[in-house]
Formats: sequence, structure tokens, C-alpha cells
Amino acid sequence: MSASFKRGINSFKEQMDAPVAAFFSSCVRCGLCSQACLFYTETGDPKYTPINKLEPMRRVWQQEYSFWGKLASALGISKPVTDAELTEWETLVYDSCTLCGRCSMVCPVGNDIAYMIRKMREGMAASGHAPEGLIGATQRAITIGSPMGVKLPALQAQIRHVEKDLGCTVPVDVQGVDYMLLLSSMEIMNFPEFIGAITRIFRHAGISWTISSQAFEATNSGIQIGVSEIAAELVERVVRAATELKVKYVISPECGHAYMAIRWEGPNLIGRPYDFKVVHILELLDELRTSGRLQTSGKETQRLTYHDPCQIARRGGVVQQPRNLLREVAADFVEMPEAGIMNWCCGAGGGVSANERADEIRLKAFIRKKKQLDEINPDALVSACSNCRIQLEDGLEENEMDIPVLSLTEIIADHLVEKEQKEGQQP
Amino acid sequence: MTETELLMWARGPALQVATVIFLLGIMVRILEILVLGRKANLAEARGSAVAGGLRTIVTRSFPDRGTLQRSTFNIVAGYVFHTGFFVVLFLFAPHILVFRDLLGFGWPSIPTPIIDATTLVTIITLLAVLLHRVQDKVMRFLSRFQDYLAWFVTILPLVTGYLAFHRIGLTPPTLIAIHILSVELLMVVFPFTKLMHAFTLFMARYYNGAIAGYKGVNS
Amino acid sequence: MTEITNDREFHAALDGLDAGQQRLAAAGFVKSVLHLCTDERIARVLEVAADPGASDAALAEALKTARATTIDCHTRCGSEGDWLEQAGYFVARATVAALTPLGQMPGGVAWQAAMSARMAQTSKSIVTGENTAGQESENQYRLLAGFLNS
Repeated sequence: MSASFKRGINSFKEQMDAPVAAFFSSCVRCGLCSQACLFYTETGDPKYTPINKLEPMRRVWQQEYSFWGKLASALGISKPVTDAELTEWETLVYDSCTLCGRCSMVCPVGNDIAYMIRKMREGMAASGHAPEGLIGATQRAITIGSPMGVKLPALQAQIRHVEKDLGCTVPVDVQGVDYMLLLSSMEIMNFPEFIGAITRIFRHAGISWTISSQAFEATNSGIQIGVSEIAAELVERVVRAATELKVKYVISPECGHAYMAIRWEGPNLIGRPYDFKVVHILELLDELRTSGRLQTSGKETQRLTYHDPCQIARRGGVVQQPRNLLREVAADFVEMPEAGIMNWCCGAGGGVSANERADEIRLKAFIRKKKQLDEINPDALVSACSNCRIQLEDGLEENEMDIPVLSLTEIIADHLVEKEQKEGQQP
Repeated sequence: MTETELLMWARGPALQVATVIFLLGIMVRILEILVLGRKANLAEARGSAVAGGLRTIVTRSFPDRGTLQRSTFNIVAGYVFHTGFFVVLFLFAPHILVFRDLLGFGWPSIPTPIIDATTLVTIITLLAVLLHRVQDKVMRFLSRFQDYLAWFVTILPLVTGYLAFHRIGLTPPTLIAIHILSVELLMVVFPFTKLMHAFTLFMARYYNGAIAGYKGVNS
Repeated sequence: MTEITNDREFHAALDGLDAGQQRLAAAGFVKSVLHLCTDERIARVLEVAADPGASDAALAEALKTARATTIDCHTRCGSEGDWLEQAGYFVARATVAALTPLGQMPGGVAWQAAMSARMAQTSKSIVTGENTAGQESENQYRLLAGFLNS
């Protein structure tokens, strides 16, 4: 993919829509967004003010899409955006923004700044200003099928082990079942126990499900780097597989941006609605709980709190379900301050953790989460996103905090009521 | 030009030109936004975009507790000067008379001493707001020429109005002419600056709420 | 003579152990896959975990080191994964579990250590292409049975 400055500016222009224009028109430079952004609050550097991260795009909007701006451009009295500025803005747009959307919640005039950052990344990538780590991840996603290079044999090996341990089959490429499960590379590589946990839960609840050997990857690097064509291709693979297998639902696993990509951006990327529904694993587990198909026993006694992954809660709309589930298996569940849709980002989403250059600021940003935890002193931290988990572990370790980070799905699996397994029953 | 001629000009041709620029300018700015359009959302909705949009127009006026704690001055001062400005603009008897001329109807006014006090409070708050803008490192970093221009054209009518009402410094007709001219300055500058937020914030809040509401989130 | 033939029995047996015993059993599981980890910190830390007389302070220090090693060894999101290195990551994770105070991990710390140790073996098998499904589990059943009978 050849990048050029011109392509970048054209891409900015393509991204303009009525919301973007309304947002830029309304900004009164009050700076409230800075106080909502953990990259600002933990560094005190005004350049991290969210609206500032959009400055090149704002100038393109002003010079191309506002009467006064167009007039000024024609008269030669406006300052066009330069390639050097895009270089300068690369770290602001990619290293110090996770698309968490907290700024979008506090802007008094209603600007959805994260919406605009997502669009700005399209122009940044087109002009060749995306971080190396993300470029590599995206290339691998396209050519290998996984941003981390996870190939089918690796997944098959993991599956074989799960089958042996649990004494049941993990269905692969089974047609006509209700659910097709996606997995993120992060889970397959760093937290593969998730596969075993899901298998146990689905067996317990009598769910008919499958994994597709052609499209098992949930992560969508395309939306993180900001290249919609690539993001669309990755979604198409999932759609093709889901359609071929004639499933009713596709399950998005414990990964934040994967959910955003497949649930909310997907149909818009490929230009048509799906002929299946998408559920986040937490939504499914909660449905199973309310319908009585998920029976748990015993409770964790340690003091647990829940970290809301931004793309699942604030930007995704799955907020109550993890809490309902945790209350079933936790005797001492305590909310951290500002929990729910106003929760603070872990600091590593949106491609930040894939970007080595951002390591230092990522760990600085984590201090915001540390401050939340310091107020409630939990024994353990629960979340539902593999990327958040690694960042939380990293941040906690860096700050010498002795708190394990746990997966909600795995906790549920550990508390399943054992049912008699009928001989030869297909899980 | 005599003071009477100045006043007649301010109330006549100048006001006409200012009004045309004001109304046309606002219309152009709003149309510029609408004409860009929005793609339809093909994802399956969880909630209502329209309900979300309308809700956020209202609820975004009430900051969450954390934001209020972190940005207390900005929020409180913002409310004080906006409220004060609108109270003085819409509830001062002589202003209501102007509106009655324009619109064909008026409404009750509030006692002048209250308007007077409100004007002073608003002016003082605006001065504090300017001080904050230059002292606060984020605001100083973000501020451009038009932020200071917008501030200036907003405070000017309040100051000139106060001076005119109390007949300080110059003859009453001159003071009133200056006051009217300062209002016309505001009107003419309005569509070219962030002051447009007075209208576009309804659109921005709506879009924000609609995007979130579609996903079932109250933003 | 205790015999363990499946995960249900395995888990139940582990649940019956107290904190100290779970640590020692877990250390045994880690030892079995230690050769898959090239980070020498883990070998050191494992000795502490395997020591029945280790002090609380020593255990806490060892846990810190094990956690730090896990962070260093994991595959960064979006970067190219190497399954051989991941094996080392899982060994580190198993060590963390072994040293974690009882009750802090759902399912029990020794169980988590066993699971991570199995994943270390799986990671290696992905590279070698061998089908080793169930082998490490069987090994762990034997180890635990031996531990219980001693």
C-alpha cells in the first residue's frame, strides 16, 4: 500500500461528514476534554488534550468545508497542513490515544472526539504516518490471518489439548449450529485457557456452537491502524465463514476492539447488514444466566472489582451484563470509582500496546487506573479483554501492586455446577 | 457626523447589514454541516439513535460529578456568564421592546436593578474567564486569535450597555449608538467564529447522543 | 495408593491440599516443564517455591520476580508470536500461580499452575508439530499421585 501526503489529505476529506463538521464548528476551546483523558491527567502535558490531537484534520475541514475557510484558502491567507505536521501528530494520534471515548462523554458542546480520531487515523495511515508495530500487525493479519502470526495448526494444537483434558470435542467447521465463536490472537497466544473455559460453559449450557478454521480471528488491526479497506477485508472473512456455516450468531470474545469492529463497524465497513447477529461473550453468558441455562455454585471470597474495557462498555454498550455475572460468583464485589460508562481506560487499547514506541506513555497512563484501585483496595481485578489484562498486569507489576488480574469468563467456568455428562453427547 | 446621525445609522443601515450577515452567515454555516450528510448505520441497533440524540442535547448540560470536580471553574463560570448574558439580553425591558418590534410580540421583563447587578456579575465573570484562559496551561495552549476575539465581542455589549444605562462618559445618544454598534459587531463576527456553537451544539450533541444511543449507551 | 486418571479427580485432589502443599505440588508441575523456559530467573524462583521451609518474605519476593518475568516474556499485542518463547511465558505463569497465595486464583493456585504448565507443553508442540495432547496431563496425574502418596 503506497502512502503519500496527498493521499492522506484526500483521505481526511473523505472522512468529513455532518457530525465531524458539527463537532469542529462547536468546539469552544474550553479544555474540559483534557481532564477526561488519562494521557493528559497523568502527564500534565497540554498537547495530549484530545481536541488538539485532531488539529491537522480540523484545519483541513476549515480550509475545505467552511465558507470562511475556503475564502481564506483562496486568498492564500490560510496555513495548509504539511507533512511535517502529520509526522509531529503521529504520536498524538496513535501513541497517546486508545479511542477510549471518555473525552466524547464530557465535551460540553457534545463533540465525539474519539469518533473523529478514528477517522483521522484513516488519513494518517494513508499518508504513511502509522506506527511500525501496527503496520506489521496489519500486514500479518491480511497475509497470515492473524496479527500475531497465529496459524490454524497452532489453534488446532490448542484445541486438541482442550479436547483431551475435558474429554469432549471442540466443534470445528460444523454447519447449522447456532453460534460461531471468534478468538483473538491475544487469547490464543497468551490466555488459551479461555478456549477450555468456553468449551466447558457451552457444554454445560447445551449451546450448539463451532469455530471456523477459515475465520477464527477476532482481532481487527484495520480499525486500529485506520485502514478501512483492510478492516473490511477482515470482517468479510468472518462474514463468509458465518454465512457458509449458516450460523445464527457470531460471538465476539474477550477483546475490546474486536467487538467494536465486528458488532458496530463491520456492516458499515462491508456496506451491507449481516444475515446473522453478533453477541459479545458477556452478553451471551448473561442471557444464559437469565434463562437459567448457566448454573453456578460457590463464590469467590476475595474482594473483586471490575475494569470496564472501553470498547465493550462505553463504546460498545455492554455494561450491566458483567456485573450481573460477577454478582453470581463473587461474594465481595465492589465497584471502583466512576465505574461503568465513565470508567477510565487501561491505557493500552486502540493499538497502543502494539506500539513499542508508546511503552513509556502507556505505563504512565496506567497510573490513572492505579488511582482508582487505590481507593478501593481490591484483592483481585476482573476484566473481559485480553489486551486490558496484559496492560493491567504490566501496570500493576510496574507499580508493585500485588493484585492478580482475572478473566470473567474463566471465573464463571470455574464455578459451573457439574452436570452428569451423558455418554457420547455432542457438546 | 453628529451623535444623532450616528445613532440613526447604527439603528438603521448598520443594523440591517449586521442582521443580514448574522442570519445569512448562520444559515450558511449550518447548511455547510448538513450538506455533508451522514452514512446510514447498517449495524443492528441496540437502542434508539433519535431518542439518544434528543436526550444528550439536554443531559450534556449536566456534567458528571468527576468532570465537575476536575473542571469546577470552567463549568461554574461558564454557566454564570451564559445565564447572565441571556438574562440581560432577553429580560431587560428596552431589549424586549426591540424584540417586540422585530417579532410582533414581547414578554415580561425583570426589574432593572436585577438586570444591572446581573450585568456586573456577568462582566466580572467574563474577566475571570479571560484570566483563566491565559493562566490555565491547557486553555492557553488551545487558544487562538478567534478565542480572544469571541471573548471581546461578547463582553463589549455588556460593558457598553452598562455604560449606556448609567450614562457614563459620553452623551446618552452616543453611548447608545456605541452599544448598538457593539451588538452589531457581535452579530457580524458571530457566524465566522466558535460563537456558532450557540446553534451547532444542538447538532453536535444530537449526533453524539445518536451514535451512542444506537449502541444503547446514554452519552 | 492414590491413583488419578482424569481432570475431575485431579482437581478434587488439589482442592484438598492446604496452601503449603498446593505450592509444592505446583512447583512439581513447573519443574516438569522448566526446560522450556530460557529465563534463568524462573529456575531461581522455582527453588524458593519448591522449598517447604521458605519464608513468607522470600515467597513474596519470588512472586514479584515471577510476575515480572511473565510480563517480559508475553507476546506483545500485534507483534509476531514465537511459540517457543510462549512456552517460556507459560512456565513463568505457572510459577506465578505456584507462588500466589491460596484463594487468589479461581480454581486454586495449583490447578492454575498445572494448566499453565500444560500450555507450555502445547506451545512447544505447535513448533515441533507433534501431537502431545494429554501427555502433560497424564504426567501431572502421576506427579500428584506421587506427591500425595509420599
